[in-house]
Amino acid sequence: MIPFLAVVKKELSSVIRDRTIVISILIQLFIASFSSALLLGMLSLYDSDTVMKFSGAGIRIGVVSVSDNQLGALMIKRGLQTVSYPTLAEAQAAFYRGEVLAIVDTPQNANGLTEVKLYLPESDTVSSVIRMVIQEPLKQYENYLRTQKGIDVRYTDLKGKPATSYEFIYSVLIPMLMFFPAFVSGSMTVDSITEEVENKTLQTLLSAPLTLNGMISAKIVASVILSIVQCIAWLTLLQLNGTVIQNTGWILLLALIIAGITSTSAALGAVLLKDRERSQFIYSLMLLAAASISTLLNISPITTMSRLAIGDAYTSGWNVVVFALFLVGLYLLLSKTSRRLLV
Amino acid sequence: MNQILVIAWREVTRLRKRFGGGASPLAVLVLLAVLGISAYYLRDTVSLGSGLYRVGVAGDVPLIHDSRFAVVNVNAEDGKALLEDKAIDILIDGLRVISREDDKSQFAVRALKQYMEKEELIRVGNSFAQADAFPLRVGINYLSAEQATARNDAPKPEEIIIPSITPPPAPFAQVLLTLIYIMPITFISIFFTSSFMDEKINRRLTILLSAPITPFQIIMGKMLPYATFALFTTTLIAVITKANVPLTLAIFTPTILFIFAIYLMVPLFYRTFKDTTFIAMLVTTLTTAYLIFPAMFTNVNDLSYISPLTLAVKMYRGEPFGWREYLFPSLPMAAIFGFAMFAGTRMLNEEFLMGYKPLTRKISDAIYLMMAHSKPYLAVPLWSLLVIPVVYMMQIVLLAFATNLPVGLILGATLLGSALVEEIVKTVGIVALTEHGVVKSTREIIGLSFLSALGFLIGEKILLLLSISVVSRAAVAGALFGADLLVFIPLIAHFIFTSMTTLLRAKLKFPYVLALGIGTIVHFIYNVYVLRGAF
Repeated sequence: MIPFLAVVKKELSSVIRDRTIVISILIQLFIASFSSALLLGMLSLYDSDTVMKFSGAGIRIGVVSVSDNQLGALMIKRGLQTVSYPTLAEAQAAFYRGEVLAIVDTPQNANGLTEVKLYLPESDTVSSVIRMVIQEPLKQYENYLRTQKGIDVRYTDLKGKPATSYEFIYSVLIPMLMFFPAFVSGSMTVDSITEEVENKTLQTLLSAPLTLNGMISAKIVASVILSIVQCIAWLTLLQLNGTVIQNTGWILLLALIIAGITSTSAALGAVLLKDRERSQFIYSLMLLAAASISTLLNISPITTMSRLAIGDAYTSGWNVVVFALFLVGLYLLLSKTSRRLLV
Repeated sequence: MNQILVIAWREVTRLRKRFGGGASPLAVLVLLAVLGISAYYLRDTVSLGSGLYRVGVAGDVPLIHDSRFAVVNVNAEDGKALLEDKAIDILIDGLRVISREDDKSQFAVRALKQYMEKEELIRVGNSFAQADAFPLRVGINYLSAEQATARNDAPKPEEIIIPSITPPPAPFAQVLLTLIYIMPITFISIFFTSSFMDEKINRRLTILLSAPITPFQIIMGKMLPYATFALFTTTLIAVITKANVPLTLAIFTPTILFIFAIYLMVPLFYRTFKDTTFIAMLVTTLTTAYLIFPAMFTNVNDLSYISPLTLAVKMYRGEPFGWREYLFPSLPMAAIFGFAMFAGTRMLNEEFLMGYKPLTRKISDAIYLMMAHSKPYLAVPLWSLLVIPVVYMMQIVLLAFATNLPVGLILGATLLGSALVEEIVKTVGIVALTEHGVVKSTREIIGLSFLSALGFLIGEKILLLLSISVVSRAAVAGALFGADLLVFIPLIAHFIFTSMTTLLRAKLKFPYVLALGIGTIVHFIYNVYVLRGAF
């Protein structure tokens, strides 16, 4: 047991001494902040609800009005500020005076179709914002026209709240922060095993009172410890930040098991291939394949993680146990094949 | 040229030996096939929020097939109980959708709304005549801001859209498509870096360097097979996605060069295998983010042109772009490639590659090596001028970091961060030179500080001119680089900060971090002062 712990300790201290772990944490911080910056940007530029909330008041649209203007009514209902003008010429004059940002002409009937002319400013930025906020009333107007033709579109009265941030935090951010350390720990296992082989230090290491399986397991354990420490840190930070996370115990166990799976399969690759170049390549391919296969088979750890975090009623520790069984199988396979490292 | 080809051929044989025989080529093929097949099946199903919502379905309800929803079949009574217990988020009872008041249920309603809208369109489109199913046409016309100005160019032609089937303005799909180009290139990088690591481990580098070939030829030779492969995959993807091949190559060649340039640095700096992994990961995330982030804002912000992916997105959307838009992202990338090649040839010597030193020490050595071969008075300003594209990229990255902070702190943090980056860039060369004893006297240090500030400023202004011609309303770029073209005050300011840091370090023996910190803070105060004056 003592040589085993010594190897674990040596692995951990080398990571801390080389400061490489700092890079890893930096990467995660970067990914997390970059993706939330991206989300923030996407929301404020592409989500019509958010655009309405922050700059809806500044968007004034001229409507060339006749007595019954359904489209105009829908725009007002959406919360847009409209100004009515009797003719298009007057509306355009108002546009050049800067009173309105865009003009919606009266709907015309053309061969059974309804045509609406929309006049937008040339500036790309402004016109894309207007196109975004006017999209919803136009769609509703389209549905209204469909009803007139006797086509019933179902489920049109749904509203709800914009869910993008919620979906992002629970289906992207949390799984990513919990599994990225696992991904790194697999890579680390490949490195620390192949380095012993390529630098020819393996034999020396094995002259210590430690079996080959013990040595490989110690390297796996070191990587897993490192990854779980990062997961704990992320969970704490997220909770300090006000994100509600359920089932933290199960989440950490799942993260631990996944780190175990990635490290064990990485070790398996390294044992069979013995050099860093091929092992890393196969390891990355394997991870990609495993992620997509598990999604296809509907047992994706990512979904399990999201559901644990939101406190889904149908997801419990049993879903975690499935992965634990897989880990045990993988480890048995590794301990049977590990001798090939010496051949 | 011949030598380059010889080395390239040697590289190909090395790879062939690695992957020849045994099960590994088969394994690679199988894995690639699995990836291809699953990507094909997953292309529609994976979305934001997958697996988050549980929906109870009772009565006659269209089939819900979306990765966001897990469907439970219930009868109406049980469904209501489950909804109350928060076991399901919404209950669809025939045409009625029942939800709770809390956030989670409301989020589910919104997600369902998006899904149902799409499904209903498909149903309506399939079961009714086109004119009835899509009865609305919107003609979009553009008005120029000034009525009076006589217009020489013809106005944009009218654009006819059908609101319900207009693609969303966010270029998600196109950006994902362009990402496919980047993926193989980052994979290749594993082999490219390994090639140098092999030489190092097997101690063959000494022999290689003693042969009558230059480091430049070695790097080029080793890069050639991978660059060829990268160009080949780019062409292949362009053909598969039915894009214009020459245009695609023109767009992605600078990007490929840029990625190779960055991966060239990885094997030069690594000390252990783990280093390689971590540095490579850092590099991959940074470059991917740098490429994707701006492209997501194609057409809404002109600053998006700093990423060449924006050009590719525009290509896929069938929108034109001009020479200036092309050069804006491509030139800095090509410049970084040139710079990396130069740095690589300087660093490719045994002493530098084999030494095990702290990373900061290695970086300082690297900078020294780059400067040591020419006169400091030439090297220092050139360094400051040439790293401008890197500074530019760093500052964009900083801005992204800063957006996580509370709104009031964003501008401050970005300014502080960019002041730090600028100070590092300007002083690090001089400090490396003093540390190796090349530069000693106070007069020399002050002189070099001036030249460094001058070089930096010239580079900055060139970049500014370039961006003004492309970016019309990018206030951010203005804030970062100082939008005024006046040179004297910024020159003096930069000169003062630089000489302050270098003198503190070289003459008063302050630790570099401390000297840098002082320089940065003074620079930051100056920036705030300038901005206050401007607004």
